[in-house]
Amino acid sequence: MTKTRYFDLTGKKALVIGAEMPAGAAIARAYAEAGADVAICALTADEAVMRARAVKRDIEAMGRTAAEYVMDVTLGKNVQVTMRQIVKEIGGLDMVAIAPDLFLGKPIEKTSDTELQRVMQVNFNAHFFAVRHAAEEFRRLNQPGRIVCVTSVLGERGLPNTVAYAAAHGAVHNLVRAASQELAGERIMINGISLGWMDWMTDRINPADDEAQRAVRFTAMRRAGTAEEVGPLAVYLSSEVATRYITGQIFPVDGGLTQHL
Amino acid sequence: MLERFDLDGKAVVVTGGGRGLGRGMALALAEAGASVMVAARTQEQLDRVAGEIRAAGGTAATFAFDATNPDQAGEMIGAAVREFGKVDAVFANAGGGGGATAEFHEYPADGFDAVLATNLKSNFYTSRAAAAQMIKQGHGGVIVVTASGTAMRGNRQFAYPTAKGGVISLAKSMAVMLAGHDIRTHCIVPGFVSQAPPKDDQERAFREQRGKFLPAQRLGEWWEMGPLAIFLASDASSYMTGHSFVIDGGGLAGGLGPIAFRPRHEW
Repeated sequence: MTKTRYFDLTGKKALVIGAEMPAGAAIARAYAEAGADVAICALTADEAVMRARAVKRDIEAMGRTAAEYVMDVTLGKNVQVTMRQIVKEIGGLDMVAIAPDLFLGKPIEKTSDTELQRVMQVNFNAHFFAVRHAAEEFRRLNQPGRIVCVTSVLGERGLPNTVAYAAAHGAVHNLVRAASQELAGERIMINGISLGWMDWMTDRINPADDEAQRAVRFTAMRRAGTAEEVGPLAVYLSSEVATRYITGQIFPVDGGLTQHL
Repeated sequence: MLERFDLDGKAVVVTGGGRGLGRGMALALAEAGASVMVAARTQEQLDRVAGEIRAAGGTAATFAFDATNPDQAGEMIGAAVREFGKVDAVFANAGGGGGATAEFHEYPADGFDAVLATNLKSNFYTSRAAAAQMIKQGHGGVIVVTASGTAMRGNRQFAYPTAKGGVISLAKSMAVMLAGHDIRTHCIVPGFVSQAPPKDDQERAFREQRGKFLPAQRLGEWWEMGPLAIFLASDASSYMTGHSFVIDGGGLAGGLGPIAFRPRHEW
């Protein structure tokens, strides 16, 4: 247990969307370690559920309550209904982490309408719907809330073959900023965690690809980040007492990759 | 995971630690388990902060120095090493003073120099001395500098924000130059944060009025720097370096109009 009350989430109710993915899983585990009960949402009713279940077991082993759900983040109505059900079943809501991620590495002229739609749905629409309904729940409960959007440094700058993905994450970054202006007066703070090159991102930093490894070494810290380095920041940003005056900010966990911005 | 936030066994220095935000950070860092040396110009203020830390069961030391003097910055870090045997994190937080009130084209050179000395050079000297010690120790460390939200926008009192803009840049360059020594650097960017509780009802009312112009509908409080300071000094931020951390109640995320401006247009 930490020495100060600032990072203590004991008795708080957390929701992690996209908990079957490494960032979401790390955040769910970190929330639980900090004392929260955690509702875990997988995005699809397939093997994602099995991965989410492994996170659930870890959390239960820590003596916390974990509940597992499937949330179709491509449909606003499904996000609303599932979130309402979760709040009812876990008995409240104090923080929501939104961590879906679907990378596409393709030149713009090869990116189809369907691919663009899918990239926007998972990487952007999901955040929009989740923020909309998290705010709705916090308001309904008449209490402060914390929202953490997990995004990418590609939301600040681009690379070739990332046009759709980078645009979607850029949209999330400004969603965070604009939503912060709407929600701050209601004690709902919303911030982003933008990830740099993380060790699980073999879809973009393939260990066998020399160019990709050069990109990793381009980072000030000259290495990729790990899932354990994401969880503590999410705990900090979700702590009501620690972040009453922090909102609308994007916090890069990127080893200094975007320090030049 | 939560043990990553603990500062047990860490030796931390906070310059400008005698009052205001520096005091807030020093108290929180000590609460998280660090041994804290507070350093600033006025011994009396340092004694008060050290007394508060000790009263709460923490370990504290003080060092009175002039942060604008490069030799004294080295002596200050040396004193921390004598006291604690090492230095793990240094908050170069000295600063203050808006400078002269003059039109830009008439702004006095000595006034500009003085503001730079207090707010930028001071933190370079402290950071340099800290880095030298951390490199000597060979196991990395954390250097945190304090800038200001005023650095991010044009301002009639321009010397202070200009110096603070330099501080933001300093943190970025240090990140690049010191990453190889496993030294992480951060920059805290406070917006309108109150330095202490209000003295009287008049001051409370004044702050409430000013707070209405911010998205959070209030000014920040001195103690709210504390959790951020702990996070940055601790292993909880182990993959973060070179970045600015804005604590401003949402001010800089907006800024495209006055707070009551809500464009409306429905289909």
